[in-house]
Amino acid sequence: MKLHLQATDYGKLLTSAEDDLTVSLVDLKLRQNLMTEFSCLRSNALPPLSTFLDYITYSYMIDNVVMLISGALRHREVAELLPRCHPLGAFDQMAAVGIARTPTELYSAILVDTPLAQFFQDAVSESSLDDMEAEILRNKLYKAYLESFHSFCQNMGGATKDVMCPILEFEADRRAFIITVNSFGTDLSGADRSSLYPSCGKLHPEGLRLLAKAEEHEQVKAVADSYPDYKIIFEDPEPGSDFKTLEDRFFEQEVKLNALAFLQQFHFGVFYSYVKLKEQESRNIVWIAECVTQRQKSKIHNYIPIFQ
Amino acid sequence: VSLQQGQKIKNYTLFVVFVQIGGLPACLFCVCRAQTIMKARLKGAQTGRNLLKKKSDALSMRFRQILRKIIETKTKMGEVMREAAFSLAEAKFAAGDFSTTVIQNVNKAQVKVRAKKDNVAGVTLPVFEHYQEGGDSYELTGLARGGEQLSRLKRNYARAVELLVELASLQTSFVTLDEAIKITNRRVNAIEHVIIPRIDRTLTYIITELDEREREEFYRLKKIQEKKKQLRERTDKEIAERLAKLGPIAEPANMLTEETDEDLLFE
Repeated sequence: MKLHLQATDYGKLLTSAEDDLTVSLVDLKLRQNLMTEFSCLRSNALPPLSTFLDYITYSYMIDNVVMLISGALRHREVAELLPRCHPLGAFDQMAAVGIARTPTELYSAILVDTPLAQFFQDAVSESSLDDMEAEILRNKLYKAYLESFHSFCQNMGGATKDVMCPILEFEADRRAFIITVNSFGTDLSGADRSSLYPSCGKLHPEGLRLLAKAEEHEQVKAVADSYPDYKIIFEDPEPGSDFKTLEDRFFEQEVKLNALAFLQQFHFGVFYSYVKLKEQESRNIVWIAECVTQRQKSKIHNYIPIFQ
Repeated sequence: VSLQQGQKIKNYTLFVVFVQIGGLPACLFCVCRAQTIMKARLKGAQTGRNLLKKKSDALSMRFRQILRKIIETKTKMGEVMREAAFSLAEAKFAAGDFSTTVIQNVNKAQVKVRAKKDNVAGVTLPVFEHYQEGGDSYELTGLARGGEQLSRLKRNYARAVELLVELASLQTSFVTLDEAIKITNRRVNAIEHVIIPRIDRTLTYIITELDEREREEFYRLKKIQEKKKQLRERTDKEIAERLAKLGPIAEPANMLTEETDEDLLFE
């Protein structure tokens, strides 16, 4: 595998590694690569591009913050958690968030120090920080983030709006579908669920209401049928073709939309698509590496192809 | 009393021997009693040996069963672990890196193991069974991405843990049974090759002693009879000699046949 990768841009990364190439090492290196490229772009950016690029980092920041919060609430060492944060989501006061011991400290630390303050304000109050599940917190923050990003893109106008808004709408609807499907059989009730659905997608408001009431897969499918884009995703596969999971099909659609971004010029959407596609690429590489290590050669082709 | 070379005699038989040297007639009872005691011991040893052999057979049978199951479980284990590791890769592909979330949310064990005791032919074997406690604290992980793969992953690893627990209990019983079988076999062999021959030899020794004593008695009796006969012959001969020397033996006057009594002064 090393041989093939050397032909691409990643060649320089892996030659410096030691002889035994583990999958986690590959993953780490790819992530570092993405980080360096992104910081290069970011340092050369002026507003409004810089704000746009910041928005891209916010999603990783949310993941990092949620992890730090749950770590702090369980009194774990900050030093342990910091290296595990996604590098794209790093911000200056990350350490401060980790040091806070009580929920009050945490809340004030986050509000003051992090750029995520705006998302916290709408969604989360101080008392709920303590007992909320990490997942629910993450999803609420992400909902606020998506909506804010969407309105930002709409304000930018022009080609950016034409390219970014479909992508973001798709992301919002995808989250709504997946949250619904995954919450069958868990304690998450319909009302709780609807507070997690981002409202900037095509499904808003009718579809979201129907989804909140749905209790099984068939009902979700019925909701999807009324929107032609999503009908294809939920269709049953033809007999004889490879079975793809719902997630895989959503991934494919996302990749398609991101690739479309490259067809237009002079807009910021390219940066977003670039980051997302690079991420997908590293995921594909890691998948192939895992298949090779575990000798499951037949499953190697289950990655998501980009630019077919 | 001759002590044959190399004959191992137990302590109390030695006591019997000493008593024999003393020559008291009362020791005869001791020896007979010793013989019955020895016979009883022999019987006891033989029964003990049979029982132990049966125990060893039962344990060996169970041992072989367990061995077969271990082989089965190990091959299944290989398959299951492979599948589980692969589903981990799939889940990582779909959901991103959720390892930190998982590590953060660890507080109590969900699957616990209980140890119970099983009895096979008198040997207690530990048996482990797993039980679930508390709800699934990772229900909501992967809510937004990769939930399906995550639930499949959880199922696969749960199955792997079940198999592991089973394998653990099989292996501990294997080791315990092995020990028990070795001990039992050692005991069976000890009884068969050491204790029983020893008792046999003691028994034969006692019997030979008794026989010898009988023969001694017999010989003594014979000797005494001979001696008595000789003595009688000798005394008879002496009397005959003396009689011959004295001539015709004046028989002492028979008072009853006397017609005149010289002592009578007046008739």
